[in-house]
Amino acid sequence: MALGNKTLDDLINPISKQLGNAKVADHVDMPEWEFKAQRVTDGKSHDELVSMFEDEAEKIHISVAHCKAADLAACLAKIVGAGVPETGEPCTVVYAADERFRAAGLADALAAESLVTKATEWDETAGEACIEAARVATYGITYATAGIAETATIAQPTCPTCGRAISLLPLCHIAVVDAAAIVPTMGEVMADLAKEEKLPSQVCFISGPSATADIELVRVEGVHGPMYVNYVIVE
Amino acid sequence: MSILYNTEATLAERVDECLSDDFKHNAIKTAQEVFYKKRGELVEEMGEGWQQLRMHAMEVRNHVTENLDYYVKQFAQNAEKNGCIMHYAPTGDDALWEVLDIFEQHNACYAVKSKSMMTEEVGLNEILEEAGIKITETDCAENILQTAESKPSHIVVPALHFNRSAIADIYREKRGYDGTDVPEEITHFLRKILREEFLEAEVGIRGCNFAVAETGSVTLVTNEGNGRMVDTFPKVQIVFVGIDRIVPDLDALDTMMALLPRSAVGAKMTAYFSLDSGPRGAGEVDGPEEVHIVLMDNGRHELANSEFSDMLRCMRCGACLNICPVYRHITGHGYGSIYPGPMGLVLTPGLVGYDDIDNMVYACSLCGACTEHCPVSIPIHDLVRQHRINIVDQGKNHKIEVPIFKALGLFWSNMPIYMAGMTLGAPIMELLAHDGALDADSTWIPVVKNWTSTRDFDILSKSRFRTWFKEHKEEQAKNAEGGEQ
Repeated sequence: MALGNKTLDDLINPISKQLGNAKVADHVDMPEWEFKAQRVTDGKSHDELVSMFEDEAEKIHISVAHCKAADLAACLAKIVGAGVPETGEPCTVVYAADERFRAAGLADALAAESLVTKATEWDETAGEACIEAARVATYGITYATAGIAETATIAQPTCPTCGRAISLLPLCHIAVVDAAAIVPTMGEVMADLAKEEKLPSQVCFISGPSATADIELVRVEGVHGPMYVNYVIVE
Repeated sequence: MSILYNTEATLAERVDECLSDDFKHNAIKTAQEVFYKKRGELVEEMGEGWQQLRMHAMEVRNHVTENLDYYVKQFAQNAEKNGCIMHYAPTGDDALWEVLDIFEQHNACYAVKSKSMMTEEVGLNEILEEAGIKITETDCAENILQTAESKPSHIVVPALHFNRSAIADIYREKRGYDGTDVPEEITHFLRKILREEFLEAEVGIRGCNFAVAETGSVTLVTNEGNGRMVDTFPKVQIVFVGIDRIVPDLDALDTMMALLPRSAVGAKMTAYFSLDSGPRGAGEVDGPEEVHIVLMDNGRHELANSEFSDMLRCMRCGACLNICPVYRHITGHGYGSIYPGPMGLVLTPGLVGYDDIDNMVYACSLCGACTEHCPVSIPIHDLVRQHRINIVDQGKNHKIEVPIFKALGLFWSNMPIYMAGMTLGAPIMELLAHDGALDADSTWIPVVKNWTSTRDFDILSKSRFRTWFKEHKEEQAKNAEGGEQ
């Protein structure tokens, strides 16, 4: 048989045959599952979930700050206003073109910081220039759609106002998450996504700085993605 | 097919080589201990929930296996709806053909890759390099292996067999590294050189941990972020998906993700876990413009509805490697398969058959620790034993086994011969023994040397147990009588 150009049937027919099916079923009902797992988050109040989210974040080396919605810009400006982590050198920032950042007056707050030499709002019309801004940026700021208490994970979908590069290329990633959006496990985020008509091209679940232990099992933070991750929880 | 490697050496030669490399098996031992401890703490924290998760994962995965044709079709159709370009590969060669075709269409000659066992399985790198295409491995360990032209010794941390100074030397020689041997400095050097490559590459090649049938999504778990770089910058993306990676829906995905990082590295979650559903959307600046999914079988369907169908639940976490006493000593290089350790003993012959695997399925003591630790409860050691049974049934065992077992059968089932053997055994052994045991001096005797070259063999007792027991009972009876008086 010639190589390549195989059809779906070429792939499936041997499977059906192995299973003893004359043809592929039109529909398969999901069975009633016999087992349902307890999770450590079961029965926790929302306040307990928020504190679990923070505790777990600390364990995986994420810095956590709190603020009221009205103080969001000031809180973010304070973090990036310290300059490059450890050295305190001047820094640049790239952030998602999120309505909530605009409403909070983030652009003005960043402009007022002496150590912030440039702040770029993600702009879908700017194309590659956005990626270049993210490549040289010290800080990338995104607004996460959910926080997961069990694992201190944030869910970050890709959309025209928030490219993948913002949470990937800068030295530090700051993820803002609403306290109200903190849920027990990834299951709740998945259940919400399952209701969507069409899923985003990517939903990235992020839990801490990029890391490796490939050389003699020594943990090193900051491999291909950010070396530092901050969460800002908005009350 | 390149599931097997280093087959010019026998299993025994490979094992000997690994056993004599102290650094290598000590590195594996340390990794096992670290992962085992961290995993154990997390499992304990979950209490009852852990076993329930395992059972639930098992019923979900079994349901998919029982309806595999349906779920493969559902995934393929939904991925296509998401705008992915589907390529169907009943065999590994079909997959290679499809990939070469994609490169040709785009006139592309430069690719970056994040760790994918499926691409290892088909020998993708070698084929692309032959076609003049440059392909860079971007996982730190895989990049070390590629630069050093070596093979993985562990499926999760594949470059453990090199120490820090060897790694620094590799980069000094090949990439002009001028830093120290400190892991942090070497890693940051890799961050710098690989970042340029990510941004320049035309094609990104990646694997897929789980594919979601209901949404047509593919997923990728990484800690370093190289997977994200691969799925963010190259305009063309090729995703390798095995037909045994499918979960029915997003709810099942959550169950699998509660098990995978905990079992693999003893972490609640990896730094990154991405759920990808098609190419970049309208108005998006990054992400691939074109996503090609190569959906590959390569012998997996034959495991369905067979005595090995449980193996289709495997999620490649490596928990069985991290607990295996044999793997601890012979390391990933001993087996001669890209799938080493307990899961490899089941999967390798399942995919390539019994003819070229040497005595691989005997590299197991059947202790069952792997089965106990498997997050999807695969009875791994039973399946290893099943392979052994099949090998004998198909007459593929060593020819000398048949007369040996016949002779032993005769010996043990015939009382006079057995008695004669036992009676003569003790004095003969005594002639050869030192301090009541056969030691390293007896290695000139064939067969016996396999044991005595590394440990002592106690000589047979001169008195038989039955004789002793009879005397013992008589003595007891006598004592009892004495007591009554």
